[in-house]
Amino acid sequence: MSEDIDVMLEQQVAEFYQSLGIHQGPGDIQYRLILKVLGKNEGRITEFSEIREYTDRLADKGSIGSKMKTIFQLEGLAEKVKRGGYVITDKGITASNFLKDTTAFYKKNKRMGEIIERMP
Amino acid sequence: MSAGILLNATICFAITISSFAFAWVLARDDSGHNDKSKPALWSLIVLWVLVGLTYLPTTVRMIAASLGNQQLDLLMYYIAAVPFSFVSVPLVFFILYVIIGDQRISGSISALFVLFGAAYLTFFYSSGVIGPTITPLTSLFTINSDIAINIYLIGLFVIPTAMIIGLLFLIFLQRMPKRLRYRTALPLVAISFVFDFMLTDMITLDDTMQLAARIFVLIGTVQAFLAYFPPMNLQEKLGIQKYESNLYEKDDGTDFDDDEEVDINV
Repeated sequence: MSEDIDVMLEQQVAEFYQSLGIHQGPGDIQYRLILKVLGKNEGRITEFSEIREYTDRLADKGSIGSKMKTIFQLEGLAEKVKRGGYVITDKGITASNFLKDTTAFYKKNKRMGEIIERMP
Repeated sequence: MSAGILLNATICFAITISSFAFAWVLARDDSGHNDKSKPALWSLIVLWVLVGLTYLPTTVRMIAASLGNQQLDLLMYYIAAVPFSFVSVPLVFFILYVIIGDQRISGSISALFVLFGAAYLTFFYSSGVIGPTITPLTSLFTINSDIAINIYLIGLFVIPTAMIIGLLFLIFLQRMPKRLRYRTALPLVAISFVFDFMLTDMITLDDTMQLAARIFVLIGTVQAFLAYFPPMNLQEKLGIQKYESNLYEKDDGTDFDDDEEVDINV
């Protein structure tokens, strides 16, 4: 997986899910970005600094570190393999695939919403 | 004077009046639409005006046929061909604009259909028509140019119809609220009805089929009106009524959640 991560798009998708009352998982921008970076580095070690490249403008270091521990490590989506180094697990890949579906759903919904908006 | 032809004239007149009325009502409600939907709205208005302009001379044609005035009948047939051949232009613009949302691209592609329409008219006028054949139900002309019919079938009919079907599929494949589905699918079905039966009306050589096609055009016009202005009982039956949130009185200080909370605390 080598696709680029579009932070703006991820933020829009997260806001869309928040507007549906889903504030966690797909509606959480931190969760989305962390999982995106982990997914992008499948089979390789993801450095914490790499995650922060995307999350720094949206969240502080502490809350990202906390999210890594309380969600990603606790639920087994990522494993800590060294100090500041994580690898995505199979379960994490499943979550990453689900995240892609949520982006696709957002895009489909947005496209249809625009079509309906243009219908007189 | 045949009762069948007069019935035909009445149906044509009803189509004319209802198309113009629908176009007028849409234009009157222009301010109620958002800026993004206005180009599509105006193309729809032009479409219905063209339908009305096609059936206005057709009404006169039917009356002329019933009075035995073949020259007026022919003249009106030629006049009706002009708006008829450009009906696909606003239709193509409407569908393309709704799907892609770009006025310039939609305008350019629909301009191609102006060329199709002009080509159709050129062959149509240069080759002339055969007729009229007066039957108890109608007056029929045969277009004396195969090229004109082919241009009509391929350029003016098949492509726009395929576009309508495509947009309908796009809507049906998407899960959406019933109200929105009704509001988006029914106008398209109505337009498709009118457009397809107008073609049948123009090229058929069977008087019963022509009368039936005109009845369906009228049904399509009424259907379009119902799509935009559904009566309350139809809305209730289909479960598509819109509830206004501002009708709810907020000043009594309690709401359902508060009551529930009290019960839980007790």
